[in-house]
Amino acid sequence: MSAVTATISEDETGAARGRPALRDEGTRLGFRLTLPAQILVLFISAFPLLMQLYISVTDWSPLSGLGWWNAWDMWNSFANYTDLAADARFWSALKRTVIVMIVCVPAEFLLGLALATLFADDFPGKRIFYSILLMPMMVVPAVAGYMFFMLFQSGGPVNDILSVLSGTRVTVAWLSDPTLALIAVMIADIWQWTPLMFLILLAGLVGVPEDQVKAATLLGANSWQRFITIVLPKMKTIIIIALAIRVIENFKIFDTLYIMTGGGPGVATETISVYIYKVTTQDLIWGYVAAIALAILVVLSIVAVFAMKRMARARQVPA
Amino acid sequence: MSTIQLKHLTKTFGDFTALKTMDLDIADGEFMALLGPSGCGKSTTMNMIAGMEEPTSGKILFGERDMAGVPMGRRGVGFVFQNYAIFTHMTVRQNLAYGPRMRGAAKAEIDRRVGAVAELLQLTPLLDRRADRLSVNILQRVAIGRSAIMEPAIFLLDEPLSNVDAAFRAVMRTELKQLQRQFRQTMVYVTHDQLEAMTMADRIAVMDHGVLQQVGTPLEVYNNPANVFVARFIGAPGMNLLKGRPAESDRGLVVDLGPLGVTPPLPDDLAASLRGARGEVLYGFRPEEVTLAQDGRGLAMPVTFVERIGARTVVHLGRGEGAVKAVFDNDVGLSIGQTAVVAPAASSVRVFDAASGVAMRAG
Repeated sequence: MSAVTATISEDETGAARGRPALRDEGTRLGFRLTLPAQILVLFISAFPLLMQLYISVTDWSPLSGLGWWNAWDMWNSFANYTDLAADARFWSALKRTVIVMIVCVPAEFLLGLALATLFADDFPGKRIFYSILLMPMMVVPAVAGYMFFMLFQSGGPVNDILSVLSGTRVTVAWLSDPTLALIAVMIADIWQWTPLMFLILLAGLVGVPEDQVKAATLLGANSWQRFITIVLPKMKTIIIIALAIRVIENFKIFDTLYIMTGGGPGVATETISVYIYKVTTQDLIWGYVAAIALAILVVLSIVAVFAMKRMARARQVPA
Repeated sequence: MSTIQLKHLTKTFGDFTALKTMDLDIADGEFMALLGPSGCGKSTTMNMIAGMEEPTSGKILFGERDMAGVPMGRRGVGFVFQNYAIFTHMTVRQNLAYGPRMRGAAKAEIDRRVGAVAELLQLTPLLDRRADRLSVNILQRVAIGRSAIMEPAIFLLDEPLSNVDAAFRAVMRTELKQLQRQFRQTMVYVTHDQLEAMTMADRIAVMDHGVLQQVGTPLEVYNNPANVFVARFIGAPGMNLLKGRPAESDRGLVVDLGPLGVTPPLPDDLAASLRGARGEVLYGFRPEEVTLAQDGRGLAMPVTFVERIGARTVVHLGRGEGAVKAVFDNDVGLSIGQTAVVAPAASSVRVFDAASGVAMRAG
């Protein structure tokens, strides 16, 4: 019936277009009435951002003895930004963050999609498996970090299992090896966040119109063809939402990782968030931190805008 | 094209019997309507023909071929869903091409077939429109075209007009009937709307509570309902039924309706079939076949309500079990509170056994 509702709403917009004067008046009055609230909201959301922007062009730190509003005394033109561009540790942290994202998000997506497809049908014990599957999501990330820290100890359960499987005594120093530590961190992230992906995608899968799938079956499409031609296109919007959420969240990966490796060994698992944390707490160069934070914000905003545009386009096509 | 035979078809869901030993032969190229109120088993029957559900027992034959175990994608059945189930994320062209594309037909072949079907259904100018912004009659054509391109032996339509507003339904009915003539397909059409069934179908299978009540042409089921259910269900309004007992009078056999008096004498052939019947009967006549008796020989009943529907006037007479309706072609000038003396046309009178509800056939 979507077509019918679509026609109706078109008529409605047509009617609204018919009396532009009235609508403009209403809009203007509404704007005036909500203006104080809008200014407040704008202030609340913009203030921290503007403060960051301000501090990012100074050498200010809380240890400097100056109030933050006097930070302009320590104006350093755009030194923080030029430093950032030349900061090899920043770039390597950024690269590492992107690698983690490129591995984790698709892995979580594919696993989540596979599980969602499995759970769209009934099977014995479905409810129990469902609850078990969602549990990792409920675990506090810090606790998850500690859990995986234990699991990946050289005398820990992961090595024990590998020993049993291989038949020889395995003593891999997971968290001390630069590559393995990164892999361990990624496994922890996938373990914790696949359930969220699963949950969102399951919601999308359940929302696929059943009769369209049936119609495809009657027209001779096999299950794989139905999945590719009907199910996936219908889930486009929700897939974009799920991916956007995980890309943005994964970019900020911190707690689990910090507890497992502290960013080490060395800087082998140092992501942007860990780097910012270290600069903030150890080096106390707040102006520099503000510059990094703003740079990241710009990157993430681009991702968000892209996702929102795709969603807006998808929303014009009701499923 | 193909005949369909349902043999002792039964479907149960746990304790609930959705369909009880249904036997029905549908001829090649016939437009058969399965008509009944919701829960009568008509959709279950259709789903079994389509292969969406397996019969509990009984057989479905397409031509000579037993359909048991044939999956729904392989039955050569075109199915038009209640809401059309058009793939809204595709264009009209992609919708039409879907079947052949899934079967791996060559591109040139697909283009040729899509072109032919679109031409037939007058969809050619709309081929590159997105399917989510089409009006309902176009959706109907796309739904039919999408199935027709597979050249199915059988077309099944599941209440396709139930979501359409009343004014447009008439247009859609005409269009659908014309399409059926063009395709010359065997069509099975499920509906709860007796008007749709009456206007479009070659034959109607009236169903109730999982039991087939009567099969016949629209005029057969209208004129000679097999039982009380069919009599009430077919026609708008349905047949009037008054409880009474057969009685002899000096003018011939009549039905004694108790407080309402006696009916005009029954026609000879009907009287013959009733003579000797002891129990109560239901005296039935069509509201359209009623005249105002000028000589006072008829049923005198109080007018309780008058509906003036433009060309026709529906007069409600009597109360409770003895209530009847009479339809007149013009305003007869009756108003509430008056007493009208009505006489059913002798040829339209039908009599049913009150206990079993079965029609007592003339002759």
